Formats: sequence, structure tokens, C-alpha cells
Amino acid sequence: MTEAWRNRLMLLIALALAAVYLFPLYWMYITTLKSGSAVFATPPGFWPSDPHWDTYVYVWESRNLARYLGNSLVIATGAVTLITLLGTGCAYVLARYRNRWVDVGLFLILMLQVLPASLMITPIFVGFSQLGLLDYPRFAVVLAIAAKSMPFFVVLVRATFMSVPMELEEAALVDGNSRIGAFFNIVLPLARNGILVSAILIFMQAFGEFVYSKSIIQAIEYQPASVGLNSFMGPNTNEWNSIMAFATIYVTPILAIFVLLQRRIVSGLTSGALK
Amino acid sequence: MRKLALSLTDGRGFDILLVAVPLGFLLALSGLPLLYNVLMSFQEVDMFSLGSVIRPFVGLANYKALFAEPETWPIFANTAIFVTASIAGQFVIGFGLALFFWVNFPGASWLRGLFLISWIMPGLVVGAVWNWMLSGDFGVINFLLREAGLISRNIFWRSDPNFALWAVILANIWLGTSFNMILLSVGLSAIPEDLYEAAELDGANVWQRFVTITLPMMRSSIGAILSLGLIFTLQQFDLFAAITSGGPNNASNVAQYWAWDLSFKQYDFARGATISVIMILFVMLASVIYVRSTRQEVRG
Repeated sequence: MTEAWRNRLMLLIALALAAVYLFPLYWMYITTLKSGSAVFATPPGFWPSDPHWDTYVYVWESRNLARYLGNSLVIATGAVTLITLLGTGCAYVLARYRNRWVDVGLFLILMLQVLPASLMITPIFVGFSQLGLLDYPRFAVVLAIAAKSMPFFVVLVRATFMSVPMELEEAALVDGNSRIGAFFNIVLPLARNGILVSAILIFMQAFGEFVYSKSIIQAIEYQPASVGLNSFMGPNTNEWNSIMAFATIYVTPILAIFVLLQRRIVSGLTSGALK
Repeated sequence: MRKLALSLTDGRGFDILLVAVPLGFLLALSGLPLLYNVLMSFQEVDMFSLGSVIRPFVGLANYKALFAEPETWPIFANTAIFVTASIAGQFVIGFGLALFFWVNFPGASWLRGLFLISWIMPGLVVGAVWNWMLSGDFGVINFLLREAGLISRNIFWRSDPNFALWAVILANIWLGTSFNMILLSVGLSAIPEDLYEAAELDGANVWQRFVTITLPMMRSSIGAILSLGLIFTLQQFDLFAAITSGGPNNASNVAQYWAWDLSFKQYDFARGATISVIMILFVMLASVIYVRSTRQEVRG
């Protein structure tokens, strides 16, 4: 068997594996195109023979999706801004030095990274209610998400700063730059891509966040799409084409970003997670 | 004053400021709640005392009451099953896929990355899709199993106490397999190729090469990935909320969902805090193992 044929065969198997693995995604998309009765047909249709696009319009209007997605966007943007502002500097210092204090800081950050949100929400909720923060529910959720996701961001961005050669910064200092000047003019631009990719990863996580939003935000007009999707799925629901349309509208932007930036996201993720 | 300003822009003060602000933020929003959690687990908390920090101290009464409940041990057992089965499934399938994609062919790395979609999606969406696929009468999983001749009657995944936990495990394995695969791929690509060439010259077959080279060389990555799996599995909440809500009758309930349910559905914050404390201790143990195994990798 020649090299070319082996490659083609491997690619074919790989495509088949990907198709099987991503079948749930396909099933989500295809269900949205079925009519209310076709959803419950036996055997189920595996191909959109009679696509119904109006489910999207119906769900968008009847479930007020614009408001839900707007809230998700506000929360995710707030959390990413806060995390990037605070976390970048922290990651820089933890990458630049190697001593006992840095080890302690890294250990603390790794420990805070692993706390499950569903376990931390009890004290956070009670504490926030005592501080009166529950009157600003979306801000409260942003704070909680920032505390949860910042350690992950710091770990990822630290790996980026590690790859910026220290000699460049030292050269800038010799040329008369202050530390602040060298940081903003030399180090940050060199680490820009890594920071951006990490911020995108954090954004995708925050965009799908559920536990904190569900527990903290009572008023429906401030709830993000994850909570909206959850309340759409009652125990005896049968509007599966509408629910899948909700999920599709919610998840497609995230998938689009991911597929476009896939290479960078995967390499950013792997460089941080194991170091 | 000028000295301080100079230090902040051009000296040690700059570094300290960059670290102190985020660490202070983290300690205030993660560290303090952690301590508050422990405090609440020793207190009597009800709707009236929710607003005050000083509440009646009850010692270990919350812990004793928790372990006197009939549902406590079954739920901890569920947690153990959920964690073990999820990690085993994610790891074995992930390792298999990683080994497959290790063979270099054009498009391999791009296709491999595509798998990560399952991990990137919001947990609630993954839960909704699996909830629909596992539906009893009209779910596609039951249809495929029937067609394959594996079952004769529909399985009611979400409402049958024998299957409810496995419905969530199935969804969780799907969600986490790709992450395991990507991390394992990184570990595989770090193994020097000449080791295999030497073994091949010595006449080692595929299986012998896997057992004597791949597994030992991957030992520290495998340790890190398994403990990361433990950490992530114990964080899994969204799938429970989206698929079974812990039901029927706690058959698919696990500790991390139960803690939330007690606090926010039954308003028993002290009990919720008590379970949280126990589980957080457990998670921290796992993360110490994780930190130790990644350390070895960096230094070794």
C-alpha cells in the first residue's frame, strides 16, 4: 500500500469517527428543521426532507431570545474584561520569576481553580445577600464567574509569557524604558495572541455559565440564555424542535468562533493545561 | 511619596501591585466564601438568620444529621459511580482516539481539534441535546439500539431509576472524551520517536511497544489527566440540571448537585454548606495529586 493510499484510508476512518462523535450536534440541528409531528415520527427522519425554518422565528419571538442572549453577552463580556484586566499582570509576574513566593502563589491559584461552582455557590450566595449585592444580580454573577475562571486564565496566559524571551525585556530596560514602559511596549504586544486566545476561551465558558446565574438571578429580565433554556425544558416537555432551535441559536455563534480559531484555541489550551 | 511612585512604575512595587490586586480579589471572592462555608456548616442557618453572620453554633450537629439521613450514603455511592464510570469512559475512548490520530496523515490535527466541540459547548446545551436523544418513546438512541437488536423494549433513560444515573454518565463521557484525547495527544507527541525505532529493531511487536514504551513514558501525563478528570467530573452540574434533576427519587443524585438542591430548592443552607465542605476537601486532595504529577512532568 503506498503512502498516499494509506493517508486516504486514514482520513476516511477519521472522518467516520468524527461523524459518529459529532452525531449529537447533527441531531440537534436536524431536529430544529422538523415539524411538530415529524419530531415524534417512528422511525425518525435522519435527513431534512421537509425543512421547517419557521421554528426559529417562532422560538426567537415567543421565548424572547434576544433578551436572554443580550444578558449572556453582558455577563460574559463583563467577566472577561475583569479577568483580563486583573489576570494578565498576575500571570506576567508569576511567569517572570522563579522563587518560593511564586510557587506559593501558583499553588494558591491552582487550588482556587478546582473549586466546583455548585459547591461554592452556597457561601457566595449567602455572603452576597448580606452585602446587598443581589440587588445587582448580573454584576454579582460577573464577580462570581471572574473569581471562578481567573485562575484558569492566569495558568494559560502564564504559559504564553514564559515563551516571551526575557532578553527582549532586559534590552528595553537598558535602552531606558521603565518597567511599566517595557511591560506595555514590549512584553504585552509579544504575548497579545496568547492573551486573546485565552480571553476567547474564558468568554465561551462564561457565555455558557449556568450555576451562578440560575442561583443568583431571580428576575427573568436579567437571566442569561442558559437559564432560559433550562426553564424552557420542563419535566414533561414535548416541544423538542423548539428547544433544539433555542439551543441552536444559543450555541452556533460559539461553534463558529471555535471552528474559525480552532488551531490557536487548541494549542493555547494544551500549552497551559499540562504545565 | 516619590520613592513609592517610582517603585510602582519601575521597581519591585510594580510586580507586587500586579500580583497583589488579583490575589486579593481571588481571596475575597473564593477564599472568604470557603471559610464562610466551613463556618456555616457549624451553624444553624434558617431563612431568618440568613442575614447575619453570628448564628447559633451547633458544633458537629449538621454533620451528624447529614450522615443520619437515609439518602446520604446512596448519594455518595452515586457520586463514586458517576466519577469512576465517567473518568474510565472518557479516558479509554480518549486514549483510543489519541492513539489513532497519533498516526500522522494530512488533516489529522485539524480533525482532532474538531472533536473539542463537545467540550466547548455550554453544559446546558449538551444536556438538552442528550435529554432529547435519550427520550424514552421517541429518542434516537432507543431507536438505534432497537434497530441494532440490542434491546427489545424502549429504555426510559431519564425516569427509570436503574438507568437515570447512566444517562448522565453517557452524556458526561461524550462531553469529556475530547478533552482527554487532546491532552493525551500532547503527551504522546512528546515521546521521542527513536525509542520506537530501537524497539522495532529489537523485534518488539505493537502491543509490546505500547506496554513497554508508550505507557511508561506517558505515566506522569496519565496521572495529571486522571486527576484533572476527577476535578472536572466533580464540577459537573449542568448535565444533572438539564437531564434528570437528580431524580427519580434521588436515583441519579450526586453530592455536588445535592448540595445545590438543598440550598436553593429546600433552602437548607447549613446542610448545603456541610456537603460542600466535605466535597471541597475531596476536590482539594485531587488537585494536590494533580499539582504533584504536573510538577514531575516539568522537572523530569
